[in-house]
Amino acid sequence: MRPMSNAAMNAPGSAEANSSLGNAGLRIPGQPDMWAFVMFEALIFSSYFIVYMIRRAMAGDHFLPAQEHLSQGFGVANTLILLLSSWFMAGSVRSAREGKYDIALRQVLLTAACGLLFVGLKLLEWSDKIGEGLTLSTNEFFSFYYFLTAIHVLHVLFGFVVLAVAARELRSPPRRSQEIVETCATYWHMIDFLWVIIFALLYVMR
Amino acid sequence: MQTAGDKRLSIVWIVLSGVTLVSWWIGFDHHTGPLRLNAPITFGVLSLAALKSRIIIQEFMEARRAPRLLRRITDAWLLLLLLSLLGIYSIGMGFHL
Repeated sequence: MRPMSNAAMNAPGSAEANSSLGNAGLRIPGQPDMWAFVMFEALIFSSYFIVYMIRRAMAGDHFLPAQEHLSQGFGVANTLILLLSSWFMAGSVRSAREGKYDIALRQVLLTAACGLLFVGLKLLEWSDKIGEGLTLSTNEFFSFYYFLTAIHVLHVLFGFVVLAVAARELRSPPRRSQEIVETCATYWHMIDFLWVIIFALLYVMR
Repeated sequence: MQTAGDKRLSIVWIVLSGVTLVSWWIGFDHHTGPLRLNAPITFGVLSLAALKSRIIIQEFMEARRAPRLLRRITDAWLLLLLLSLLGIYSIGMGFHL
């Protein structure tokens, strides 16, 4: 007989889960510490976004000629890929909750594959721009472009470690913890919503 | 078999991808010539980005099933960020018009 997993024990709606809620069935997905970290990261990125907007507003329309050199195709493709990865990851949380661990593991691997594709496209885009002579020091817009995209890619790279933790949890029956899978998903989705804002600020706004 | 929850996630993903394409279309250079400052496009795409972020937080991150405090904090952050960005942009436009 399969041992009862933590996932089953902690599943929303279970007696244990409900007893610890005290909020009409509402609960924080994953560990609250991860949510605190996500909000901390959101504030750090917000400060970058606001500094970028201040510099952009002060420069009038001087950022726009530089922005014309960005390929919106890369930006849109990256956004769609990250949204797809988030869909897989959200599906993984659901699958694990329902005890479908093989499917959940596969969805985590698909999330990682999307992440790899995102990083690969980003490297291709950077090499394309550097090939055109557009580097970190070309102008202020490209300084922000490389800074914001690079710091975001660093978060994606750390996301692979987080996904590895989720995969490890899902592979081993005695280790399975729904809370940890949800915690990993919370981190991954943060990468997604931060990129959505970066995409609007760098590629699309005028 | 696809559950109601799976279907909801799929709909959320389709909506987010659709909004991304709409945002791209809005910001796309529909005519030749240099890009120009454009407040309606900027307000539109930044508002759509905030909306997409909210959907990701509420649906994919399951904040809609979290205690109200968490939802209020995330909503307040997004609203404050959006208003700050649009406010700074508007002030900049005022100086350069």
